[in-house]
Amino acid sequence: MSAATTETVAPRESPSGSPLHRFVWHCRHNPKRELWFAWWAMVTFYNLFVVSFFVLARAQPPPSPAVDAQGAAQWFTDNHYGVLVGMGIIFLVIGLLIAPTNALIAYSMRRMSVSRSFAYSYLAMYALSAIPGMLLLCIVLTVGAMRPDRDPELIYWLYDLAFLSFTGTMGVFLIGSLVWMVAILLDKNRVFPKWFAYLNLANALTEVVVAPAWIFKNHVFGWNGLIAWWIDMVVFGIYTGVFIMLLRKMIEREDFGTGPLPGPLPGPLQELAPSKEHDPSELTRTAP
Amino acid sequence: MTNIAGAGSAPDEVDGRSVATDTKDGDKPAKFVPGQPDMWAFVLFETLLFTSYWVVYLIFRTQNHELFLQSQADLDLRIGVFNTIVLLSSSWSVARCVQASREGRFRAALTNAFLTIFFGFVFLVSKMFEWIKEIQMGNTFTTNEFFQHYYFLTSIHFLHVLIGFVVMGVVVYQLWSPARRSQQLVETGATYWHTVDFLWVPIFALLYVVR
Repeated sequence: MSAATTETVAPRESPSGSPLHRFVWHCRHNPKRELWFAWWAMVTFYNLFVVSFFVLARAQPPPSPAVDAQGAAQWFTDNHYGVLVGMGIIFLVIGLLIAPTNALIAYSMRRMSVSRSFAYSYLAMYALSAIPGMLLLCIVLTVGAMRPDRDPELIYWLYDLAFLSFTGTMGVFLIGSLVWMVAILLDKNRVFPKWFAYLNLANALTEVVVAPAWIFKNHVFGWNGLIAWWIDMVVFGIYTGVFIMLLRKMIEREDFGTGPLPGPLPGPLQELAPSKEHDPSELTRTAP
Repeated sequence: MTNIAGAGSAPDEVDGRSVATDTKDGDKPAKFVPGQPDMWAFVLFETLLFTSYWVVYLIFRTQNHELFLQSQADLDLRIGVFNTIVLLSSSWSVARCVQASREGRFRAALTNAFLTIFFGFVFLVSKMFEWIKEIQMGNTFTTNEFFQHYYFLTSIHFLHVLIGFVVMGVVVYQLWSPARRSQQLVETGATYWHTVDFLWVPIFALLYVVR
């Protein structure tokens, strides 16, 4: 990534020498160093999330909601070390990585021509939603793994709490997506293409369908169900990949001004539009 | 909601002319889609998403064919047909709205936009009437697998119709004042509305018709 940084920032003196030397130079002189730090924090977080949740703790894809107390206790026994190591990683890095991640997304809204309240609402909602939507699962699974001698009925209760809170509390995330969507649709600074606003809507609509996980334990609408989890997770994966790439493009285009971001909007759709060139007469026509 | 960013809208008269030119130059393939191309990306994505819901429904239908057939008999085909006719009518009126707006007849365009909203409202009321009827018959979300899918598919579509009212609100807002009237936004809104109608047709076919 340091190569891309070198190209886009156009430093006054081109750094030469070893990669370490160039890296130090960028840390000291690159005007976008905070933005790149936040972007790398985001990439690192999502990678660690996959390693911790999917590979180590086996908390994703979620185990079956249809097990009994013995089955739940058995799950904790089988995944004892995975849960401890996986969740330990999350506890270590969450503050360092999640705060810049959310800050970068809020920054994208501050760079738009819309009210600051969009960015602040998004920050508040994402700070809040991470608690039931992720941290509670981490804490509860760790408790279960650290107390293997407890009554299986109690372990069963922890099992339900962990996975219901993780899958079943998408409501606040959903509103965050909608806030981002409205900001992009209203924005005149061309920070993101409009199709990303609509992708936000599609993502929010799949987060609605996790609600039946509170009622059902079956293969479609349960917390590990085809519709409530699998389709939802595929959409979320696409959405996350897309916004990571779009935020990278945003940092590359950032000029620290207040007007429209320079450079073409990312994505292949622009050439399908009726007029490729922005018509300056519109500004006068549509100005209030 | 004036759209300056990205693929901006051209003034109406220019839009009108450009449409006319494109139809005249038949040898030149049209390089653009109606409305924002971005909305068409959404259309494709939502279609894929709903296709996955339909595939899940069909998989579980083949596994439990008898139950699905029996439960399906509790649905009133007439309400389903009525829903479909109402939504197709709303598609017709939103298409007339776009046509009128292209030709600069904004009064007629507004009338058709309101007609679309009216049809949408009729759809919502008839859908709620149907839900109430089913619940009174004892068929709720938790009754069996068929009704899980029935309530899921109809309510996620219902939600899309509700968002459609916001979209049609933007269309009406655009058509209302001569200072706005972005043809691109009108066509973008119409594209969304058509999508919601089009998604209903397979839902209707799968839930009510397929035996």
